[in-house]
Amino acid sequence: MKKLKWKLLLSFLLVLSLAGCHGQGERPRDERLYEDDVTSEREDYIVVGFAQIGSESDYRIANSASFRETFCAENGYYLLFEDGQQKQENQIKAMRNFILQEVDYIVLDPVVETGWDEVLQEAKAAGIPVILSDRSVTVEDEDLYTCWVGSDFEEEGKKAGLWLENYLEKTGRDEDEIRLVTLQGTPGSSAQIGRTAGFSQILGRHPNWQMLECASGDFTQSKGQEVMARFLKSYHDIDVVISENDNMTFGAIEAIEQSGRTCGPKGDIIVISFDAVSEAAFTYMKEGRLHADMECNPFLAPKVDEIIRKLERGETVEKIQYVEEQCFDAFMDLDAVMEERKY
Amino acid sequence: MAKTSSAPKQGGAKKSLNDTSLLMLITVVVFVVMYLGAMLILKGGFLKPQAFLNLFNDNASLIILSCGMSLVMITGGIDISVGGVTALVCMCCAVYLDKMGGNVAVSALLALAIGLGFGLVQGFLVAYLEIQPFIVTLAGMFFAKGMTTIVNSEPFNVAHEGFKALSGTRVNVPGMGTVNKLGEYVNAYVEIGVVVALVVVILMFCMLRWTKFGRSFYAVGGNSQSALMLGINVKRTKFMSHLLCGLLAGVGGFVYFLHVASCAPSHASGAEMNAIASSIIGGTLLTGGVGNIVGTMFGVLSLSTIKNIVSSAGLGEAWWTGITTAAMLCLFLVIQSVVMSVRKKKQLGVK
Amino acid sequence: MGTNKVSKSKEGSLLSRMTRNQMFIPLAALAALLLFNLILDPSSFAITMDENSAGNPVLSGFLINILDNGSELAILAIGMTLVTAASGGQDISVGAAIAISGSVLLRVLCGSNTRPETLQAPILVAFLVAFVVAMLFGAFNGVLVAVFRIQPMVATLILYTAGRSIASWVNNNELPIIGEPSFGYFGGFIPGIPVPTPIFIAILCLVAIWLVLKFTNLRLYTQSVGINENSAKLNGLNPTFIKILSFVILGACVGVAALIKVSRLATINYGVIAKDIEMDAILAVALGGNALSGGKFNMAASVVGAYVIQCLTTTLYKFKVPSTALPAYKAVVVILLVVLSSPVVRAKLSALAPQAKRKEAA
Repeated sequence: MKKLKWKLLLSFLLVLSLAGCHGQGERPRDERLYEDDVTSEREDYIVVGFAQIGSESDYRIANSASFRETFCAENGYYLLFEDGQQKQENQIKAMRNFILQEVDYIVLDPVVETGWDEVLQEAKAAGIPVILSDRSVTVEDEDLYTCWVGSDFEEEGKKAGLWLENYLEKTGRDEDEIRLVTLQGTPGSSAQIGRTAGFSQILGRHPNWQMLECASGDFTQSKGQEVMARFLKSYHDIDVVISENDNMTFGAIEAIEQSGRTCGPKGDIIVISFDAVSEAAFTYMKEGRLHADMECNPFLAPKVDEIIRKLERGETVEKIQYVEEQCFDAFMDLDAVMEERKY
Repeated sequence: MAKTSSAPKQGGAKKSLNDTSLLMLITVVVFVVMYLGAMLILKGGFLKPQAFLNLFNDNASLIILSCGMSLVMITGGIDISVGGVTALVCMCCAVYLDKMGGNVAVSALLALAIGLGFGLVQGFLVAYLEIQPFIVTLAGMFFAKGMTTIVNSEPFNVAHEGFKALSGTRVNVPGMGTVNKLGEYVNAYVEIGVVVALVVVILMFCMLRWTKFGRSFYAVGGNSQSALMLGINVKRTKFMSHLLCGLLAGVGGFVYFLHVASCAPSHASGAEMNAIASSIIGGTLLTGGVGNIVGTMFGVLSLSTIKNIVSSAGLGEAWWTGITTAAMLCLFLVIQSVVMSVRKKKQLGVK
Repeated sequence: MGTNKVSKSKEGSLLSRMTRNQMFIPLAALAALLLFNLILDPSSFAITMDENSAGNPVLSGFLINILDNGSELAILAIGMTLVTAASGGQDISVGAAIAISGSVLLRVLCGSNTRPETLQAPILVAFLVAFVVAMLFGAFNGVLVAVFRIQPMVATLILYTAGRSIASWVNNNELPIIGEPSFGYFGGFIPGIPVPTPIFIAILCLVAIWLVLKFTNLRLYTQSVGINENSAKLNGLNPTFIKILSFVILGACVGVAALIKVSRLATINYGVIAKDIEMDAILAVALGGNALSGGKFNMAASVVGAYVIQCLTTTLYKFKVPSTALPAYKAVVVILLVVLSSPVVRAKLSALAPQAKRKEAA
């Protein structure tokens, strides 16, 4: 029996230690909500359900942070945050959960564009306006969602193309044979489709630009590194790398440097990236390892907040709303830019 | 809630609880307590009957997969290929329906054939070539996952009309609807997959409990040598358990496909571990010989409930799900371990 | 699990031959894979001197690539072999544990800033902290297995489920990046030395475990606990301690592998880092001909098994098999290998003896 007691004690400690893990991880904000009677508190607030894609990149993390900051109790909101972990299935489940809980607004950042008709119909039937953020959906009936807020990915892709055109002209290589590769994002995502389409428009104007291969790096650093390493083995004369987000770019630069080649204004491969969200991207540009980065503004929450306020007052809102975005390159005064930005 | 309250009675009605029922009883009680707790404290969506039905809607395929997993685990084996098979089934059916213009009935048969194929090969390797089930089904998982991307690597949503109609079919549950905030009456529903899942649960439960074939599973898992002496064909039983598990993986895969109506290589990733966890929480021992299909179903529901509680409590960060699931698993394992050792001691004392 | 016990008694005569042959299957597989490469592309065996980004001369080539990338797997195979032998089960949480350990390592290096200009702690200190954390998680698994008598696979399922979540929680779900070049030495090259560092680390670990097995009773104790726990106990051994010890050793291996992994990337991706490596490590043990139900083990065979898997992976990559389709080919090779090494098939192939025939008929 002695041994049994010891076992029981140990099991108790094990469970306790796991419970301890919980306690520490909880943020003070959550704790307060956890203790109070959630429902009674929620009645005075505008309840917003946010179905986020996941936390795969710096963009997404900054984007989530933006929503958490904006939709806080001080601003009169109660935010239900669901991380879909990259799966549409999870996001649909989250949406159904929001509908069931009768939230006032749903904000959806869809992981893929198709397959949303049914759940959006359900939201509409329940009288809950759905605001799309960042990525978009293709549905038969556009009235299923209230509006879309995000970046103009096609414009970003175009900007990248124009920047390259301009840069090659400046360096006197505009007549040369230019060999490009593209690290694409997750196939089917709005960012991948838009950026690829935008860049292709410029690509089509230059017969001397030769696209060697486009492959998906899934927007992740490790995959980006893997694919880039493969590119470098297959093609020995890559001039330009277009990488459809920063995380893949970091991986790609790593792969380029590991292979013994160099990139950036001081090196032999031109690297163009998208997002420009993290400080790291700017550091890479300052160090001369990255040529240019097209901004993709992750701070969408203030715009969404603005829309919800309008809707609360019964006003109508525009269907498509773009956020402002810039283009950064290694030749700018990046210190000043970083100073200006909050992150 | 009527269903949940009847289950413990069933266990209690027996004069002496055997291991199987005891472990199941713990699971059912924990599930009921957890759900009632959520209703009282978190209120919100939990008060609606639809929230309870959604547990089934979201987990129909997992319930089926877990049933198969329990069968294999009862005989002392394991099958970690079920998630991979599910993904492969989705991909093959989707490609067949959309790119080859097939029809829905054939796609369902295709799903069953894939599952059966995996079950056959794995069962043969495990039972007749005596290779460890872990390695065989691990290879099965690798193969299924790899084949999925070879068949088609791009995720897409199925546009086939007939399939969409079937996938959208809902069975209204009378008397459980609620009025939404627009004042309209909304019917409570379950998806068609739930019906399939419940049929599977009932069939498997009856088979294990009342047929000779089903009881041989327990005998083989409990002690294969004495099962052999009792005249049970151990190899055949093991083979059949894998075959059934494979078949159910095919069924579960198709139900999953009905639920998501899309395909992607990442579909059902980690489903095998969820199925194992559900079986364990439902009272199945990995050493074999002990397990109950109804318990398994409650294992699935408990896991899903805890995830819902976590997100309703405002803990939306992705890591919470992982940590709470693990904590719950840990708790159940420790309870099981302690309960079983107490029982063993008592039994020894009686003798 | 149960399968082996049935056949064990019958195979008394075969057993001796099998142990003699234990290195045969993995070595033959390795040779076959290398031969395959040699025939299809003889140039792949060339080892060349290239320059890396830091301007150092470094060795590169197909073989170096295998040795370099196989390091983590070989290190993990050491621990996995011991765990398998002692507990008769496998640890499926090593990938998740690598994520935790790597995350802790970066957390200590970075402090609260995710993109530190300078390191907040010496690399050695950070490594030691991560190393100890990895061993603690190993001990956690060990306690569940040895004290609570939960099957290893199920016990480690807990950490498997929670591991990556804990890892992202450690760094608040941020993705730290280490700019400091010296941190990259462990997964890359030390300036002036043309051989990739992971190879050295792997050799160091292999030598260490070789010494331990040679000069201590670890092998004997582990095997006797794995073969029959009760008789080991009657002989004065403490099975609980031996089992926990084997898990702690695996934890140590995880700590080292985590260092190499995060050093390679200078960052971490919680969901992807060392994904499915547990499966590869278990395969390495199985390919080495070790019984997954515990007992006798052959460490060298497991390590060769690890390199077989890496060789297979690298070969497939070389032939431009997309990384997502890789598992399918791997599965086919693995099934071939385990079928060939399965006692039943061997018995049938080797003699077609009447005894074996009767067993088949039964």
